[in-house]
Amino acid sequence: MNKERSSVFAGITWDNMVLSSLMVISPVIVCGDTLRNAEALVYAFSSITMLSVCIASFVPKKLPYALKVIIYALISSLVFIPVKVAAQEFYPGIVLRVGIYFPLLAVNSLIVFQTEAKFFKLKKIPMFFTVLFYVIGFDIVMLLTGIIREFLAYGTINGKVTDVDMLISGLSQPFGGFIFLGLMCGLYRKIRSMFSKEVSEVRSEADVSGK
Amino acid sequence: MFLVNELIALLAVNLILTQALGTSTLFIAANSRKNLIGTACVITIFTTLGSFAAYFTDKNLPEKYSDYTLFIYALTVGIIYVILLSALYFISRDKFVKTRKYIHVSAFNCAVMGTLFTIHNKASEDSSLLNIGSYVLSGIEAGVGFIIAALILTAAYRTLNSSKVPSSFRGFPAMLVYLGIISMAVYALK
Repeated sequence: MNKERSSVFAGITWDNMVLSSLMVISPVIVCGDTLRNAEALVYAFSSITMLSVCIASFVPKKLPYALKVIIYALISSLVFIPVKVAAQEFYPGIVLRVGIYFPLLAVNSLIVFQTEAKFFKLKKIPMFFTVLFYVIGFDIVMLLTGIIREFLAYGTINGKVTDVDMLISGLSQPFGGFIFLGLMCGLYRKIRSMFSKEVSEVRSEADVSGK
Repeated sequence: MFLVNELIALLAVNLILTQALGTSTLFIAANSRKNLIGTACVITIFTTLGSFAAYFTDKNLPEKYSDYTLFIYALTVGIIYVILLSALYFISRDKFVKTRKYIHVSAFNCAVMGTLFTIHNKASEDSSLLNIGSYVLSGIEAGVGFIIAALILTAAYRTLNSSKVPSSFRGFPAMLVYLGIISMAVYALK
């Protein structure tokens, strides 16, 4: 039961799709330089991925792998259309701001490839929550990246000027995104390894006392 | 001098180093030199054939149906995917078993779809680029750019994964920082 529960939460704990598997990192690197962009990407990624994976879960499992991958990509390409229309309606300017990364989110590897490997082996309800936590994991990283890079590169947070003396303007560029994400990824691994050590230490102590 | 200029131009439009397109695929394939080169070559085939198909899509798709561009691109890439797998299967079963993983990884990713959208956007801004030569050339250029990025990563792969790098930064984090530094150098060239 605990194992099942931990695997449902994996997406925001030990298996964050951006920091652990480096999936969907292009938008984080290029567009994650401001909080506004990050919000736009969070909206697009969350809605497209959740809807696409839920619809794709009804595709017969017996079909050949290549055919299923194509069907998943086509489903997400169709889901992209109403999401884009809604985005233009409710968040004007979002499509322009994010540019080609908006449609690219629709063919992300979480939808096209990881669905087979991770999600469709589960029953519908656990699958829904597992996908949800993977999506939340992406959203957290995206928003954190947006806030920190905007603060350090432009000296603003959500467009509001802050009282910061030193700016690192290179962080707004793709190369800054690469380096920042690399550092975040290393930090995430360090924290994860500390926690996994603690858990294993607690387990080993419990085993000894048990004897 | 001509070659140096061409190399600089190729680096300056490199999709991985300037737009981070296909970075995830590059890292997936980076676990072996053979995988990296194989994936890079298959991606070049996809970007070239895909840009050929994108030209006909862009030329014939009415403006009011522009929202369907992604769907048609995905369908096109899907068709190329099936054709490549079938061709390989009928040419040699052994080769099919050995090489199909490259085709699976290369079909739907940011490198291929990003190339198609980048070419599409350039042609939308400058109508003189709406010709088949320009599309296919851009497709080949993107593929060659991916191969160059793959070679750059391969050159440092062993060092970035060695025990000299702290365990938290070994592998993916070090590769990201390394690509960031190369990307910074390319940014300076532009």
